[in-house]
Amino acid sequence: MNCIAQKGDAVEIDQDECVECGVCLRAGVCPTDAIAMPVESTQYPRAIRAQFSDPGVQHPSTNQGGRGTEEMKTNDVTGRIRRGEYGMALEFGRPGTGARMTDLEKVLKLLVTMDVELEKNNAVFAFLDEPLTGGVKPEFRNEKVLSAILEFKIPEHRLEHVVRQLLPVLADLDTVVSWGLVSRFAENGALPVRTKLQALGVPARPNAKINMGLGRPVVEP
Amino acid sequence: MSHALHRHGTAQQLQNDYTFYARTSRFVNREGCGPKLRKILRILLEEKGLVNFGSSHAGKSYKAGLDPDDYAATLDNAYGVAACFSDREAIRSILKKLREADTGISIVISGLIDEIVGIARELDLKPHTAFLSLGIHGKKALLPTDQVLQITTMCGHGMVSAKLSRTVIEKVKAGKMTPEAGAHLLAQPCPCGIFNTERCSAILEVGLEKSILPGPDGPGGPASP
Repeated sequence: MNCIAQKGDAVEIDQDECVECGVCLRAGVCPTDAIAMPVESTQYPRAIRAQFSDPGVQHPSTNQGGRGTEEMKTNDVTGRIRRGEYGMALEFGRPGTGARMTDLEKVLKLLVTMDVELEKNNAVFAFLDEPLTGGVKPEFRNEKVLSAILEFKIPEHRLEHVVRQLLPVLADLDTVVSWGLVSRFAENGALPVRTKLQALGVPARPNAKINMGLGRPVVEP
Repeated sequence: MSHALHRHGTAQQLQNDYTFYARTSRFVNREGCGPKLRKILRILLEEKGLVNFGSSHAGKSYKAGLDPDDYAATLDNAYGVAACFSDREAIRSILKKLREADTGISIVISGLIDEIVGIARELDLKPHTAFLSLGIHGKKALLPTDQVLQITTMCGHGMVSAKLSRTVIEKVKAGKMTPEAGAHLLAQPCPCGIFNTERCSAILEVGLEKSILPGPDGPGGPASP
């Protein structure tokens, strides 16, 4: 985050930029043991910084650690993403730049107009306006986190529309976004979506995460 | 979350970099999963190609001093077991043993798609679902160089900073630190144990072959998508 800087003889943490990831504290490298977590770090609205930045901190809304959900990791036993559907995950602030919650709003306001199925088990959901408008609750809008993920599902035939709508909005953000897409393998073991993505100008990278189908009982073989 | 996705590098640079995740599902098979996860951990520990392992719930990785027995004791009702490998044959061997063990726990492997699908074919496994990386979008001017990204993205939670990576690159180049010692240091903040120190050593050695100066980030220019 570049939030630690030397100022004269002292080293200071820029509290506005700090995302409370806890790495400096755990490293134990301060020669005078001066790094401490202030009480504000555990109080709202600032508390969400650690919840989205420190993998050892759980989200009270989900009782889960981490920033996402089980997504495709357990898809063989949950059937969360089925054939004919794609899952998408937009991770704001990754890799390593961090994101303000306002950065998510820019994309969320588009998504709520697009007939996508937002993943309500993602911890982000607890901090959104109700009813859902695409806005973040006012008290959390300027909080900075290491990364936060918007997860949603689309029908297969909507891929081109969603990609073409998202690309210009993502390009205009003040942070970076790592974009992922979840797809079932076809019966013959192929991944036809790679060809579609190539044609849309968002080719899949050569490496991926693959659920090997060893979970039991399998919901949808 | 997608912490083993989005590892940066070309296909050549990502060869022999595999992560492993045995993941329980909260409402399906997490309750009482301890014995199964310990069985899986034993299979991993028997494998010579194991580089690192750990988890956020254990608080640190093997490379940061996590004792395998202490780790095993944390696995009751746990999310799962995470590890990384630098050897295709190790992944093949593990998958073969896990198919026979039939624990019912979901197994996720990250690496080059064609390599993993190839292993699955060899073992007559049917891969179920893929999580593809569509790259980095948005304000890419904020990113460090490709070399630094190759290092930092090995911790998907973002615990390994670009600044620390640059410091280590410079120390290795100056002969003040070996690539292996640099990789060990960089692995410390990543609790899940998927930071591959063998790959990191290789990345740092590439930094020795190419001049990493001038500029704060070394060679390679701006990061590619």
